[in-house]
Amino acid sequence: MEQTRMDKETFCAQVIRHQEAMFRAAKAILKQDEDAEDAVQEAICAAFAARDGLRDVGKFKPWILRILTNKCYDAYRKKRPSVDLEEVQDYLPAAGTDPTDRLTLWQAVMSLSDDLRAAVTLYYYDGLSVREIGTVLGISEAAVKTRLSRGRERLRQLLREE
Amino acid sequence: MKRNEIDEQFDQELRKRAEREGTPIPEGYAGRVFQTCAGLEESSMKNQQRTKKNAWRWGGAVAAALAVLVAVPNVSPTAAAAMSEIPVLGSLVEIVTFREYSYNDGHNIADVEVPELSGSQAADEINDQVQAYTDQLIAQFQADCEATGEGYQGLDITSSVVTDNDKWFTLRIDATKTQASGYEFSRFYHIDKATGETATLSDLFADDANYVEALSAEVLRQMEEQMAQDESKAYFTDQFTAIDPEQNFYWNTDGDLVLVFDEYSIAAGYMGMPEFVIPASVYEGLLK
Repeated sequence: MEQTRMDKETFCAQVIRHQEAMFRAAKAILKQDEDAEDAVQEAICAAFAARDGLRDVGKFKPWILRILTNKCYDAYRKKRPSVDLEEVQDYLPAAGTDPTDRLTLWQAVMSLSDDLRAAVTLYYYDGLSVREIGTVLGISEAAVKTRLSRGRERLRQLLREE
Repeated sequence: MKRNEIDEQFDQELRKRAEREGTPIPEGYAGRVFQTCAGLEESSMKNQQRTKKNAWRWGGAVAAALAVLVAVPNVSPTAAAAMSEIPVLGSLVEIVTFREYSYNDGHNIADVEVPELSGSQAADEINDQVQAYTDQLIAQFQADCEATGEGYQGLDITSSVVTDNDKWFTLRIDATKTQASGYEFSRFYHIDKATGETATLSDLFADDANYVEALSAEVLRQMEEQMAQDESKAYFTDQFTAIDPEQNFYWNTDGDLVLVFDEYSIAAGYMGMPEFVIPASVYEGLLK
């Protein structure tokens, strides 16, 4: 089967179109802006090198998100042996305030546990299906459903009566 | 209202809210993405990673002290003689020497060693193909060294004889490009000892045989089977439509056909270079 290599212009147009989703997914996994940007940058380079593997440009978004999440997991394993409590607290309401007061959805999402954030972000912000999320994150559809269910309950608690 | 209806309603509310509120994006992010895209080069694959990363974090690459590129062909008959004594090497084709290239400027390191074959016209043809291929990779590396200044990158090329039996001689050339992360890819060069000629995948099959469809279906089946059994496996099944008509392959020690895919081409990078052993029943009716 002959396959036409995606040219740079088309590739870059797709990247720019999905750049916000890429940052969001990376941030959901790595939490730090700088780490997320590094992962996005590495994913862009890796994806460009591997673009012959993309057979359908209509699947560009889940394809590059999958490469990105792989880069994020690599970075995560390298630099984070334990959870930084200060980072977690950045996304939680300050002590003495109503926990539901002034909490944005993104703050609520970022306060979820590590395993829930990416699935929840891809589902609510990027409109990916359960199957697509499973492929992007390299987990089964059943695992995605479980994470979404847990994430939904936690968000419901955090955002209730807001 | 049922539970799933409540969940669905809540999901819709969250989606609307996600769209309305958006997510905070760092100032200048879009510009940095654009800069990365602008820096991509058609010929240099992923070799800009380290340089661009430096540019993002420290605001620009620092000019490196100029280093003289060393890329000297170095004939190594001793090593070749040692390898040609390995019993698996047959008399039809043998490795007579190695061509070596090395480069090290303290930041960028290349270590290339490829064999030269002798024994037949097909061996000469493979020598030409391997040299053209490795010359291209070395030229890319040299260009990237000059372009990236104080970057860190590596190029390693090694070789191995993966098959040498009554029917086939197969030389495998493995390459790894390293920057922020590694990228592995291989090429296989075959000599059909029955004809004495070089061969690629399409040469195995009859002219009218739709081997691409048959082998592709089997690869897809194995991908789905593996993912069903092991959730850590992440193949790009929704993008995979067919193998390349000249897909990399080799014959393993059991005589089975093995298809090989470069890193990132059909699976997440952490899975390396996937290989699929194809049962003979899939293709035996399609052979020449």
